[in-house]
Amino acid sequence: MKSRPVVTLLLLAVVGAVLVAGCGGGGSSGGSSKGGSSGDFASVAEAACTKTNEQIAALGTPQQAQVSKYMERTEALIEELHEQVQAAAGDGSAEAAYVEGLAKAVPLINEMTNAARNENFDAVRELSSGLIEIHLGELAEAAELKTCAEVPVSES
Amino acid sequence: MKRLKLILVLGACLALLASVGVAMATTGATTGYPQPRQVVPTTLSAPFENRYVLTAVGSGAGIRSGEMKFEFEEGSSPQFLVGISQFYVYSPTGEIETALFTFYPFTELPGGKGLKAPVLKVGASASYGQVTQDGEIRLESPVGDTMKGTIRIHGDGPWPVEFRVLGDAQSYHGSPPAAKQIPEAEPTNPGWGADASEYVGEYELTNASEDPTAKAGTLGAVIGVAQGLGVNGAVVTGGSMKVEGDPAVATVKVQTGASNREFTLTDLAWEGDKRTAQVHDEGVESPPVGRFEGTGGKGMVKGSLVSGHSLYKVEFQLK
Repeated sequence: MKSRPVVTLLLLAVVGAVLVAGCGGGGSSGGSSKGGSSGDFASVAEAACTKTNEQIAALGTPQQAQVSKYMERTEALIEELHEQVQAAAGDGSAEAAYVEGLAKAVPLINEMTNAARNENFDAVRELSSGLIEIHLGELAEAAELKTCAEVPVSES
Repeated sequence: MKRLKLILVLGACLALLASVGVAMATTGATTGYPQPRQVVPTTLSAPFENRYVLTAVGSGAGIRSGEMKFEFEEGSSPQFLVGISQFYVYSPTGEIETALFTFYPFTELPGGKGLKAPVLKVGASASYGQVTQDGEIRLESPVGDTMKGTIRIHGDGPWPVEFRVLGDAQSYHGSPPAAKQIPEAEPTNPGWGADASEYVGEYELTNASEDPTAKAGTLGAVIGVAQGLGVNGAVVTGGSMKVEGDPAVATVKVQTGASNREFTLTDLAWEGDKRTAQVHDEGVESPPVGRFEGTGGKGMVKGSLVSGHSLYKVEFQLK
């Protein structure tokens, strides 16, 4: 009679071990890693980037008079993208770096928008150097985010 | 021997620089210039030995003001002139910079109407130990206290210049007054050359910059738009031009990364190597948003295309 709880415990231990082994083994897209992205983060980020890139591409290349509105719209889209990927980010260093890159971009684009509102187009250009230095595409590549690494191509 | 000559020339340059703007005319500031091969009669060169202030200059030269001094090389026989100038020029970003030039060796203009000399760049803008040719100055013999001529610098021009002779006691203490800016004559010949076959066709951009949007991911588009703005010269990473029709119209496409802009150029005009046009950003019928000003010839067109607050430096070569 006393051996039943022991057998039950042993069975539970075996089942637990099998489950743990099953989760840990096979497939690199499973758990979070220090280099690339977790599966959940990658799918969320890629979907968000696909949508954002399409919306940015649809804005086209603005004429001088439309630069301010273009900047406002882009600012909103990048901010939204940042919020989405930040919410999905795990503890991987590459995905954290990508999220950090977007976080740096948001206030810079806000400054560019303000400069465009004041028709200070030289300042818009100078501030964009800060965006170049982020190398967001490289950060996306490091996080294995293929779509996020692509540059949206304007339709006009 | 060559090095000695160079040291002597540089020493003379420094001595001359020190003498420009000095109230009293001095002698003997120029030493070490080698005897030029061509001799200019003293009767022609003597009236040029003076200090001058720039009173008028072609607006395209980008010169705000300046002073100049011509004097005979000390102890030269036969005597020959050496000139030195200190101009205040507008930099591409609109700031005032100092440009130092020497003029040597002088030769006679056809018909003995005046003198010409290579413009040699000295000082901070030249590499250490070098005096490089930057253009040419042509001057008619002074009439009263006025001397007129033309100058080419930075591989551009010529632009008209006018100087006033300064008296021995006159000095601006290194702050000469702003010279009058002479508006440039606008080309009036239609097209971009005497014959349509010289300029009609498809062109490729030959001065493309590195793409600033590469590796920028989702931010690439906004970087492309922003880098394509500004009066200080927008970044152009690619482009093309097509000139067609009668009257000729040019369609210019410029790229900044993935950002594409298209302009239509109308009222193409030329005079000598000068090329101009009106710039439209929404087709021929749209109102002009700026101008194209540049130079051209032999299948090449290069210059500045201004659209609103943006300036694009472009160089095109006929395919």
